[in-house]
Amino acid sequence: MKMTPKIFIIGSVLVWAASISLMVIFPWISMEDEPSDIWTPMNEKEKAGHDIYVNNGCHYCHSLYVRTIDWGKGAERISKMGDYYQMQPAILGTERTGPDLSQEGGEHTDDWHKAHFINPRYTNPLSLMPSWEFLGEKKIEQLTAYMQHLGWKMADKRMARQEKWQEKAIEAYEAGPDSNITWLHNNVPEEWRNMPNPYPATDAALARGRNIYENFCLNCHGPVGDGQGKAAKYLDPPPVNFTTLKRHLAEDKYIGGIFYYQIMNGITGTAMPYFKRQLESEKIWDVSNFVAVWFVGYTDANIEPRGIDASYEPEWENPYLEDPPTMEEMDKKKEEDQ
Amino acid sequence: MLAFTRKPNSAALAFIIAGSVWFVVGTIYGLFSAIHLVSPEFFDNIPALVFGRTRAIHVNTVLYGFVGSLLIGLGMYYTPALLKRRIWSEQLGWLSFMFWTVTVLSGPITFSMGMSQGREYTEYLWIFDVSLVLAVLTMVVNMVMTILRRKENLLYVSVWYFTATFLWVGGSYFLGNVMWNPSTGALPGILDSIFHWFWGHVLPGLLLTPMAVGVAYFVIPRITRTPLYSHTLSILGFWTLVVFYSHIGGHHIVQAPMPNWLKMISAVDSMFMFLPVIIVIVNLWMTWRGKGGRIFGDPAGKWIALGLFWYLIVGAQGSLQSLPEMQVITHFNNWTVGHAHIAILGFSGFLAIGGLWHILPMITRRQLYSKKLVEVQFGLVMIGLTGFFIVLTIAGLIQGESWYNGEVIYRVLPELDAYMVLRAALGMFIIFGAFIGLYNVIMTIKKGKPIDSVEHN
Ligand code: HEC
Ligand code: HEC
Ligand code: HEM
Ligand code: HEM
Repeated sequence: MKMTPKIFIIGSVLVWAASISLMVIFPWISMEDEPSDIWTPMNEKEKAGHDIYVNNGCHYCHSLYVRTIDWGKGAERISKMGDYYQMQPAILGTERTGPDLSQEGGEHTDDWHKAHFINPRYTNPLSLMPSWEFLGEKKIEQLTAYMQHLGWKMADKRMARQEKWQEKAIEAYEAGPDSNITWLHNNVPEEWRNMPNPYPATDAALARGRNIYENFCLNCHGPVGDGQGKAAKYLDPPPVNFTTLKRHLAEDKYIGGIFYYQIMNGITGTAMPYFKRQLESEKIWDVSNFVAVWFVGYTDANIEPRGIDASYEPEWENPYLEDPPTMEEMDKKKEEDQ
Repeated sequence: MLAFTRKPNSAALAFIIAGSVWFVVGTIYGLFSAIHLVSPEFFDNIPALVFGRTRAIHVNTVLYGFVGSLLIGLGMYYTPALLKRRIWSEQLGWLSFMFWTVTVLSGPITFSMGMSQGREYTEYLWIFDVSLVLAVLTMVVNMVMTILRRKENLLYVSVWYFTATFLWVGGSYFLGNVMWNPSTGALPGILDSIFHWFWGHVLPGLLLTPMAVGVAYFVIPRITRTPLYSHTLSILGFWTLVVFYSHIGGHHIVQAPMPNWLKMISAVDSMFMFLPVIIVIVNLWMTWRGKGGRIFGDPAGKWIALGLFWYLIVGAQGSLQSLPEMQVITHFNNWTVGHAHIAILGFSGFLAIGGLWHILPMITRRQLYSKKLVEVQFGLVMIGLTGFFIVLTIAGLIQGESWYNGEVIYRVLPELDAYMVLRAALGMFIIFGAFIGLYNVIMTIKKGKPIDSVEHN
């Protein structure tokens, strides 16, 4: 075959045209854009948020679809074509440096998003996401609205739940710190309230707990557990001040089960996220023990009822029942250990 | 007036200089992005340096600016040279240069202000899309006219590749960027992803690849002074490229909610994509067989040979990662970023740089200012890129495997720290190489020893 200008110019255009007919034009004609069962339209504010998302490259770190293989690994629903009805562009994203956002709506409250956009390290100390404070309040609100839209009808349901509980949480908070705690604890199921932390608060366990606290909780609840972390000023209600909890032990002795339940499930309606996907059982017990010992100065670890001890548990006598060590003593002990 | 635009090969030289500058600018923006992933508060609240913006600038500037400009400049030289005729219109060439450069320049400016169309590889705003398409159309006219007025009857394979590139790209860019919809550059609904990723793979596949292969076909026989091994293989390579490469955009969205037949075609044709890859490599390898010494002894030859080596790896890796079974682990993470770097820098970038060091003396009629510096640059970029490939592939596997194990993304972030630090450090090697290259280009133009005897092809 000799490549004359005619052959290769006309030939290459023809082959190209055949390819696009099949791969682009045919889907264009044959695919119908129809809303899925959960789709809802965007309002103006959400659209503005979508544009900010597209213009600022959020999609280089976030995907906007749940894959079949994600299902069963934490996802509740696999994305369908109709979820993107009218979305323009349907900005799917190619990388997951951050989590998928296609069901972000209602995962968190608006005030959580505000603190997170101003500085993601405020809510998630290890985050690699950029701070978006420079966008200004209005754009952050639009972005937040867009985030809360994602997930469509499923997001609306979650949002309704957030809003319902937010109202109550704010009410409880405004009634004063002690009644707020009472309200919070009363919303923990009975069985959990009378449950001690089953794991010993050994130094190793506390070190693990401290690690988790620093990586997940630090900038909300603060380095000394008084609820004055960097995020606090954006949050309503603000994070709980742990140091007041000694007054609120159930039956004067239990706190472990309450902590576990609240950390596992979060406190819907407030910025307190749920951690059950990020932290497995022992990690939650460890961080509970850490919060209890360091900030409340008391832990119910290993008291009755305790069942059969786990096989690895060392012989351990709970020293934090009466006279807790002060922070300074703990710090000194840490230094000695190292 | 504008006499310099009539000087023979001046437009080609303009593209080449611009490409060398974009190499520096683009990789510096890569470093900004890499620094963010090491320390997200390093550039705290500086709008122009926020990751979502610098990454777009990095990617577009290295693709369209560095590799794109360089390869166009080289083709603008070798195509007329192979046809034994000056380019049809030098001034039209300058017009192409202007349009192309305006588009590339718009990236760092508009993206850093938060103005972008968002879809990866189609971010340029509409007006700059127009500019890019005009650059392509003027190239089509210029190349076709040059071919029609040629003195050499035979059309060499590099000429096909270079000219066909522009025949394919104009229409593809228009389609993929949905240019009839200026405000968003997108269609409503999931259908848009088909348009988006059609261009997403025409960009590397039918813009950068054919131009890069054209350079290799031009340079290798000249260095070894042997005829091309097989005309039949050249023809096969050419046609299989356009057939298969235009079909595989779907392999970027294998896991997205998309019609299954589309994913099927993309996956199957992605396997076949290995054909044009291996054909080109075999053809060129057979051409230089027995003359390897000449290739590796030549400052340009080394880049070309290694570029082809990366092409082999990219092709093998690409075909593998198109399989849904592989994507379970490799999609959505740094594995793909590794592939992208060995593809764009390793394959098309190496060939562009090799072509640069071979062709620059021919255009300027001056010897390279320093062959030593070319060697140093080669060493630096090679270390940087090989390191990138290893580091990013490992990081990608860690991410992919952990997620597959049910670990949430937030908990995997700390595991990436070391790799992100290494990536930023290795990037410095590449950036250093870019600076050395630019210096060598400028010094060659200014101070290179004149070549007395005019070279004929
Ligand atoms: C450098 C990559 C990066 C960019 C760019 C980025 N993010 Fe993130 N994003 C992350 C990471 C990592 C996380 C996980 C840690 C966290 O929650 O901060 C995250 C988390 C989030 C979350 C919380 C998800 C959840 O429920 O846990 C939201 C919402 C979010 N990002 C929105 C955005 C928006 C909107 C933009 C663009 C304005 C953006 N991100 C840009 C990396 C990024
Ligand atoms: C984004 C901020 C934020 C983060 C991160 C956060 N919390 Fe909270 N937390 C809150 C807020 C806000 C409340 C309480 C709201 C209220 O008063 O209704 C709260 C309440 C709690 C309570 C309930 C206290 C009680 O006695 O009722 C516990 C326990 C708790 N957090 C533990 C943790 C732990 C452990 C972590 C880390 C694993 C953590 N929190 C991370 C914001 C946060
Ligand atoms: C000329 C050489 C280079 C080329 C052609 C190139 C090309 C690319 C491409 C195509 C991408 C997109 C990848 C994808 O979406 O999958 C990318 C991303 C990136 N590149 Fe480069 N790059 C080059 C040099 C560099 C250098 C020197 C650095 C660092 C110092 C760098 C850092 C990055 C970073 C941080 C990203 C973003 C990755 C992410 O989102 O996780 N690149 N590059
Ligand atoms: C045999 C040939 C090739 C095949 C089969 C192939 C396949 C693939 C696949 C499947 C992906 C998507 C990976 C994912 O997202 O999980 C991909 C990404 C990519 N490929 Fe290739 N590839 C090939 C050659 C090339 C060449 C030659 C280039 C460049 C000149 C290239 C550049 C890229 C780039 C830049 C990306 C990143 C896209 C993104 O941002 O996600 N590839 N390739």
